[in-house]
Amino acid sequence: MKKFLKKIVYYLVLITIILEILVRLCYLGKDTPSRWVDSYQVEKWKPNQQGMSVTGNRRQNFSKYNINKAGFNSYREFIPSPHATEVALVGDSYIQGFHQDYTNSIGKKIEQQLPTVAIYEYGYAGYDFADQMHLIDAYKNDFKHIDHVIIYIKFSEDLQRGIYNVRIERLALESPKNKLLRSSKLLLYAKNIGVLDPPKRWIRRMLSYLTPSAPQKTSNTSEQKKIKPQKEINYLENFKQLVSTYHYNKQRYTLLLDTADTPALFLTYLKEHQFPYIDINEVLAPAIQPTTLIYDQHWNDHGRTLIAGQIATYLQKILP
Amino acid sequence: MLFNSFNFLIFLPIVFISYWFLCRKSNKAQNILLLCASYFFYGMWDWRFLFLIIASTLVDFIVGKQLFLSQQQKNRKQWLWISIIFNLGILAYFKYVNFFIDSWIDFITLIGYTNTDYWSLNILLPVGISFYTFQTMSYTLDIYHRKLQPSKSFLEFATFVSFFPQLVAGPIEQASQLLPQLHQKRQFSYQQAKEGLQLILWGFFKKVAIADSIAFIVDDIFAHYTSHSASTLCLGAFLFSFQIYGDFSGYSDIAIGTAKLFGIELSSNFKFPYFSKNIREFWQRWHISLSNWFKYYVYIPLGGSKNNQITTLRNILIVFLVSGLWHGANWTFVVWGLLHFLLYIPSIFSIKKQVHHTKTYKNIWLRSLKEYSQILITFISITIAWIFFRAPSITEAFGYILQAITHLEIETYQHPMGYRMIDYFVVLVVFISYEYHIRKDERAPFEFSSPYARFIAYTLVIFGLLLFYEDHVDRSFIYFQF
Repeated sequence: MKKFLKKIVYYLVLITIILEILVRLCYLGKDTPSRWVDSYQVEKWKPNQQGMSVTGNRRQNFSKYNINKAGFNSYREFIPSPHATEVALVGDSYIQGFHQDYTNSIGKKIEQQLPTVAIYEYGYAGYDFADQMHLIDAYKNDFKHIDHVIIYIKFSEDLQRGIYNVRIERLALESPKNKLLRSSKLLLYAKNIGVLDPPKRWIRRMLSYLTPSAPQKTSNTSEQKKIKPQKEINYLENFKQLVSTYHYNKQRYTLLLDTADTPALFLTYLKEHQFPYIDINEVLAPAIQPTTLIYDQHWNDHGRTLIAGQIATYLQKILP
Repeated sequence: MLFNSFNFLIFLPIVFISYWFLCRKSNKAQNILLLCASYFFYGMWDWRFLFLIIASTLVDFIVGKQLFLSQQQKNRKQWLWISIIFNLGILAYFKYVNFFIDSWIDFITLIGYTNTDYWSLNILLPVGISFYTFQTMSYTLDIYHRKLQPSKSFLEFATFVSFFPQLVAGPIEQASQLLPQLHQKRQFSYQQAKEGLQLILWGFFKKVAIADSIAFIVDDIFAHYTSHSASTLCLGAFLFSFQIYGDFSGYSDIAIGTAKLFGIELSSNFKFPYFSKNIREFWQRWHISLSNWFKYYVYIPLGGSKNNQITTLRNILIVFLVSGLWHGANWTFVVWGLLHFLLYIPSIFSIKKQVHHTKTYKNIWLRSLKEYSQILITFISITIAWIFFRAPSITEAFGYILQAITHLEIETYQHPMGYRMIDYFVVLVVFISYEYHIRKDERAPFEFSSPYARFIAYTLVIFGLLLFYEDHVDRSFIYFQF
């Protein structure tokens, strides 16, 4: 019996080591760059990192990323100058584009259509409007040279706060424990494909048995109907507050949004107060081919090409 | 509790350690632990149905004793009928009531009556009811036929009925096979436990990397068969053949392997059925425990093949129809049984049937192109029959076949999630080749002379599990619904 148990442990250890090697050899586990908060209190990636972003069990999506000196994923360095035509694309993971090869980003696609314009992609997963406005404000010395700024915004996700502060929960991903976990590609791979979800759920369930919490109030349909407009009003207030705090420049800034996902309240406000915006739904909705990836909702190559084309057309109109 | 759940991953080592460390000195303690674990295992689905198992156990335990004690044949028959009516009664109620109501309504509508008062009962099907009722019935039938003496211990009998590895989807054990093992104290055997773990690992591979990974494709093709051409529909049927095989034989392997961990040997349920050269051989390799049950308790009592060929045909037809209906309360299963009967007919008249029988169990290396062709033809026939098994109704099954016949075109099938289809073909080719390699013994999937080769095989199988693990599929076993 003891021999049997010993052998199980022995085999498990050996198999784990071999699997770790296999996962590394086949590049199944993705690389995760380190993040930090710079002296301007801007959260971003640590400069000069390279790696591979991998999605799916069998490496179904595989792309290279390159974090430049500014701490953003781009093939170029960001050196704004008063003598060049430059456009900043500010946004979350959609602009960051880890799901695509960094040499084939939206920015690169725009540059191919507008060869005299340099596109700086300030994309970082999880950035909301407060993060974006703080970034532009913190790097105002850079941004003052940039001719135009396009800000990608999703109403339901990016306006949940009206005041900027550093997101502690995101930085917790840089804890020594998480760093240690990340050092095992096998563990990272298992986590990404969902193998670790059942044990996590099991532990949560066990903990909930041990520490029973107060029953959650379930809101009925009529309550939910009331909550939704209230949320929209709150988000709009957050938008107004951030616009006012950071002196949003309507002449130099343009919002990039999908009107299909944006409530009429916000769209009406933008129109009434003359906030320029680009509606990506105009190109995504009529598309016959799929415009998003199969594993998540990020834009695929076709989606990015359509959006890049739309932005390029817009920039041609407004840039000198 | 599912075998492929995290709960089971916690449950099994706890029961295993307790069994061998705390209960190793007494057979009674081992059985108490197994019984408690089995009731807990089953109760995790729905504790209310535990009462059904307990009732079934009590009735058959009492009937078994009375059958043994009764001297008069008339009394013995009465006791036997009590057991049969009770077991088939609960099976009929939980599994077939709505089927019979629906069929009756369909029938009266067909002959011209309009029915406005349509109703059916909202009955939950207890998991594994078809399996444990057949197992308990085998006990009383064996005692009735004086092949078995009743168990003296209720604990042993209750453990026999509810033994968790095979409780919900078999193998359906005959009492004469399992009860004597429960009567003795089990001694830990390193070899047996090792074989158990090997079978569990191989069973998981079949379930996760084969059945679950292709389930998504099969579901997609069967759900949208009207918009596909012959090539895709053939692919759907072909993949379903492997889905159901991987699912059910995977379950059986895990069940047999788990039982081995507790020092108990269950009978084999699958012996590489897709390498059969005719339908007769297929049924000697597919769901063997059910085939044997029908053979011993239906086919032989009906007269078997002792009389003329017409009677033999009748008996075989009855077995296939009942077997079809056993699988599910739907006419599709009856048609599936009928198809298998039709495919079975040639082998009844075959002069060489004994030769095939011998080859089945010796598993002689195939030598000729003829034999490969026989395997292929048998597999294609079985695959066509599976369409009826898989389709939600007979109309849809015929629609599926008709669509394939009328749209004889080749198209490129796209995975609904956009995954590479080549991955699935590669894993199936590897799987079929490996099963062909190990086909001499279905209970030894990792039989390598070199320990290094064995270790590599373990690692690759686990790696395969990771590569084809699907996070978002329904992981329950297909045969649980039966």
